[in-house]
Amino acid sequence: MSVIEIENVSFTYHGDKRALDNVSLSIEKGEWVSILGHNGSGKSTLSKLIVGLLKPQSGTIRVDGITLSASTVRDIRKRVGIVFQNPDNQFVGVTVRDDIAFGLENLQIERPEMIERIEHYAKKVDMYPYLNKEPHALSGGQKQRVAIAGILAMKTDVIIFDEATAMLDPEGRERVMEFMRTLNREGTTIITITHEMKEAVMSDRIVVLKDGKVLKADKSENILKDKETLERSNLELLLPLEIMHYMNENGIDNPSLKEFLWQLSLNG
Amino acid sequence: MAIKFERVGYEYQDIDGKGYLALADITLNINKTGEFITLIGETGSGKSTLAQHMNALLTPTEGRVHIFGVKISREGKKDKNLKLNPIRQKVGLVFQFPEYQLFEETVGNDIAFGPKNFGVSEKEAEERAKKMINIVGLDESYLSRSPFNLSGGEKKRVSIAGILAMEPDILVLDEPTSGLDPLGRNALLKVFYEIHQKLDKTVVIITHDMNTVYEYAKRVLVMREGNLVYDGAPTQLFSRKNVKNWNLDVPDILKVRRAIEEKLGITIEGETRNKADLMAKIGEALR
Repeated sequence: MSVIEIENVSFTYHGDKRALDNVSLSIEKGEWVSILGHNGSGKSTLSKLIVGLLKPQSGTIRVDGITLSASTVRDIRKRVGIVFQNPDNQFVGVTVRDDIAFGLENLQIERPEMIERIEHYAKKVDMYPYLNKEPHALSGGQKQRVAIAGILAMKTDVIIFDEATAMLDPEGRERVMEFMRTLNREGTTIITITHEMKEAVMSDRIVVLKDGKVLKADKSENILKDKETLERSNLELLLPLEIMHYMNENGIDNPSLKEFLWQLSLNG
Repeated sequence: MAIKFERVGYEYQDIDGKGYLALADITLNINKTGEFITLIGETGSGKSTLAQHMNALLTPTEGRVHIFGVKISREGKKDKNLKLNPIRQKVGLVFQFPEYQLFEETVGNDIAFGPKNFGVSEKEAEERAKKMINIVGLDESYLSRSPFNLSGGEKKRVSIAGILAMEPDILVLDEPTSGLDPLGRNALLKVFYEIHQKLDKTVVIITHDMNTVYEYAKRVLVMREGNLVYDGAPTQLFSRKNVKNWNLDVPDILKVRRAIEEKLGITIEGETRNKADLMAKIGEALR
């Protein structure tokens, strides 16, 4: 069953070139989809449209069968959560606790349940000891974990990670990716917006955008090996797959090494 | 010597007035020309603090920094004759989120702002804006656009063009490629490398990306808990001991090379600093 259906959606920022051009895409419940593309390809615009932060100028977006509009946007946000690139832009609370509470207040969750959820998810992201601290005292990785706790606490069916690891150091990035794996295993639909191939290896399907259009959408294992499609959107093959490509081009036949390179690429 | 650190220490005061040592006893020389340095270290290791001492944005709480002959120290801080503007022009510092510093109505004005501020004529500043927008890989049509409608990667390039337009001798960049797509990242690194090679300038890049370190750097500085623990070539840096002790990420080239050597039971001879080198060597080994 499709949880997100995007039909013929276009969007242009005021006085600028078209950011999304007639995009159609559907995402199944429980699926993990990576949306890849160059800077300016429209991938972040797409994520903002899905959560109703922007309004499509044409086309429709449905979440769980509900058509997105001004009157349904609250319902949609109960179903779709989003984690952005820069955690500093997402902080609204005076303390970590307030910040995690913000989304729950919007959902009008009862107070005892709210407290329970805040503490549960703060523990889950290892930020429980920081609940009464001010967010500005935290590192980038810690802030991003608080942002994730806020989204997890809302128990949405779908979570979009919009370049959520781009500002983090390698350790912070690995932790966020571990959350994605766990959530998806537990049934949450995950959409990762990224241009890092290492983040896309875990997804079921990859959609490549170029200049606001869907260039190609296919099973991840096909796109990961598709040098031509990736390079057309400023992306690159993972290094082991680049070597595999080189072997194919140069007629070097070594099936066991190729299999080894494929496994190596999946392990990041 | 363009920049000389002499036993530099820097202590932050947090809100409660508690001291926190961000830099401890750093001694270090950076030449005016010919250097391509990467500065690495975990979050909180002091690498950004170190970089901010390179153009006197921070004053050491211990020791001194000499920047193009100007001494920066705690004792000298109150000296009214101390002029920092020339230092800021000679050592251009690009922050991690430079896009927040864009504020003019057009990209062209934004790039020209810095040089004009340092006394360059309007016409010359406009000329430089044209030149620099091309150097960072955008075309001249961008000059008349509003900086606020640009994508993250484009904003980043514009702000770097703004620093380049001041024609600094030394360029210090804090995470200049974070958030850029692979093609944009490679293109910008090539820009920095060209600035270094063709204009013979020293470039210092703070990064978390070990691929950048391995492929481009001539010299690597590793910060750990406020101390400078390594100052040397990238090829010697990633020994198993250092990787373990300093919690380093191994560059992809090295990781894949080591895995293939182990899988095939071979030893690849010589350095492979980029993927073309590595593929050629693997090709040789397999034929």
